Amino acid sequence: MMLPLETLQLLGFGPGGWGLPLLSAAGVTVFAAILGFGLGSALGVIGASLKLSRHIFPRLLGQTYTTVVRGVPEILIIYLFYFGGSLWLTGIMNIGGFDGFYSLPGLATGVIAVGVVSGAYQTEAFRSAYLRLDRGQIEAGRSCGMSRGLLLRRIIVPQTLHFALPALGNIWQSALKETSLLSVIGLTELLRQTGIAAGSTHQPLLFFSVAAAAFFLIGRITGRLVRRVEDHMNKPWRR
Amino acid sequence: MTSDLQQAARANTAAVPAISVDGLHKHFGTHEVLKGIDFQAHDGEVVSILGSSGSGKSTFLRCLNLLEMPSAGRLRILGEEVGMKKVGSSLVIADQRQVDRLRTQVAMVFQNFCLWHHMTVLENLMEAPVHVQRRVRGEVRDEALAMLERVGLQDRAGFYPAQLSGGQQQRAAIARALVMRPRALLFDEPTSALDPELVGEVLKVMRDLASEGRTMLVVTHEMGFARDVSSRIVFLEQGTIAATGSPRQLFGGGVSERFDQFVSRFNG
Repeated sequence: MMLPLETLQLLGFGPGGWGLPLLSAAGVTVFAAILGFGLGSALGVIGASLKLSRHIFPRLLGQTYTTVVRGVPEILIIYLFYFGGSLWLTGIMNIGGFDGFYSLPGLATGVIAVGVVSGAYQTEAFRSAYLRLDRGQIEAGRSCGMSRGLLLRRIIVPQTLHFALPALGNIWQSALKETSLLSVIGLTELLRQTGIAAGSTHQPLLFFSVAAAAFFLIGRITGRLVRRVEDHMNKPWRR
Repeated sequence: MTSDLQQAARANTAAVPAISVDGLHKHFGTHEVLKGIDFQAHDGEVVSILGSSGSGKSTFLRCLNLLEMPSAGRLRILGEEVGMKKVGSSLVIADQRQVDRLRTQVAMVFQNFCLWHHMTVLENLMEAPVHVQRRVRGEVRDEALAMLERVGLQDRAGFYPAQLSGGQQQRAAIARALVMRPRALLFDEPTSALDPELVGEVLKVMRDLASEGRTMLVVTHEMGFARDVSSRIVFLEQGTIAATGSPRQLFGGGVSERFDQFVSRFNG
């Protein structure tokens, strides 16, 4: 049985304490999640525009993106990006005269992988939010002489965002948790760091509990933030 | 000297109809909704556009603001011909900027109000003048508040549309149209979506506007408004103007058998 004082030391910031590595790993997790989600938002907007296009080819492209990505396990997508990207990079380097195997940087690959997955879900969130727009809102803008750009900026984007926000909040939570899968490509995020700590201290239960608590906490705090934005954006719609 | 010039300018604009339409056709697919309409609205006229559903009256009104693109015909707003060019078998807008500029001159009031949900009433009123017409924000704000007072909503400036009754929303929508300083107002069944007890407050605002000499085109089912307020009736049937004239002529009966039948259904 572990004494509380010893536990504190293990998790602390003093000598033999895992506090600092864990904290910086949590930072990597949040950083990867934010960048991945951000990339996903960009992809989501593009994907939604493709799927809402009047023409068949862009629609098919968007359709393929969301169906394939959502139908394949996330961890496989991460592997495919990592190993596929590394082979590709190695090929280029070898052509350039640099021999040996080159692997992609873990963080960049991870962000892209999380982004691509998140983007597929965000595509659906943006698409269905756009479809909920009342056509009269757009007509009123056109009838006042608004240009396409103005209409987009002043009417369509704010209202679509309002409708998309609840779904985006859920997708953010998924993206946050998905970053733990990046441990498989060697990114020292929260899960991998706790794994290392658990291995070297033989205290797996302690460290994995800490990791779980950390994920939960980050999720709660960011969830609150999202809720606040949501409340703010909901204000006009309340009677 | 200056006043002479101003008077001359005024006389000149008075001669040019606010809206002028020649041979307006509109079809959706193979269904022909408007079959050649010739129409002019001069400054200060209040024209009620009547007709049973499917007669094309809403489509006609929407063509005047280019919310619907005519399939054929010419449209002039303030004497300026709206540029349209043929692509395949249909017309498209030739110069989007011209259309965007002219649209503020023929402001639309919709059946479902169509106030922007995410903006307060005041923001709704200021949106087009500030962002489309690029007028000075402070001046627009003063004018918008004055307009709200005109329609009796001075204490609702900071409210969101969802917090207003239907009648209040429609009055705000009318104020939104007015702040753009349009040459003509187009009303597309402005009271049809309202509970009966809220129709009166909107009609009162419209009567006041008419008595001020505003140019108004009103698609409506309110026979009282058409008879008492409008200076001219246009009766549409199956995409053509079946009868037109002063309310006294038409409602007096005997001018158009079809119109008499149409009216009798309302009085039935």
